[in-house]
Amino acid sequence: MARSVWKGPFVDGFMLKKAEAAHQSGRSKSVIKIWSRRSTILPQFVGLTFGVYNGRKFIPVLVTENMIGHKFGEFAPSRTYYGHQADKKAKRA
Amino acid sequence: MARIAGVNIPTHKRVEIALTYIHGIGQTKAKEICTKVGIPDDRRVNDMTDDEVIRIREVIDNDYMVEGELRREVAMNIKRLMDLGCYKGLRHRKGLPVRGQRTHTNARTRKGKARPIAGKKKA
Repeated sequence: MARSVWKGPFVDGFMLKKAEAAHQSGRSKSVIKIWSRRSTILPQFVGLTFGVYNGRKFIPVLVTENMIGHKFGEFAPSRTYYGHQADKKAKRA
Repeated sequence: MARIAGVNIPTHKRVEIALTYIHGIGQTKAKEICTKVGIPDDRRVNDMTDDEVIRIREVIDNDYMVEGELRREVAMNIKRLMDLGCYKGLRHRKGLPVRGQRTHTNARTRKGKARPIAGKKKA
């Protein structure tokens, strides 16, 4: 079920502060490291680059207008899958 | 013979059922259209007057997205997700289920017919 509209989008509070600070410091291109994969991408994040933690490293995500409404975690996959052993053997043979 | 919204020509069936042959119109919308145009339940497609056919066409053109237009919109939505590089887009690219279903077994609708695993030993 979708989230109630009256609650507004979910964002961790410190995200807003970090975004504002980044804007004020002259739009520095530096990556803002975040762990909050659960936060919604808001319009004020557009143009900033976030390093979204995937459990191992920070994946750089340049936020564009289309991403608004998605969650940060959607852009930093947390699982790696290299395919099955048997498939690889078959290809080599 | 009645052509409504492109190529759909279902005859001899009740209008309400015949309309569901159009992509994007199911039973609910077909019923809606029939009440809007004022067609009784038991009217067959070949018994419709020309005027009724025209009115149905008008209603569909104005109020509903069907066939090519609908298909295009759906394709565009999927393409948007794929270009965005978000999780749902990646799943679409790989042809795997998008909404968190299991893939250990099943998921055959998305993955297609099962391929035999080459080199797997038989028990």
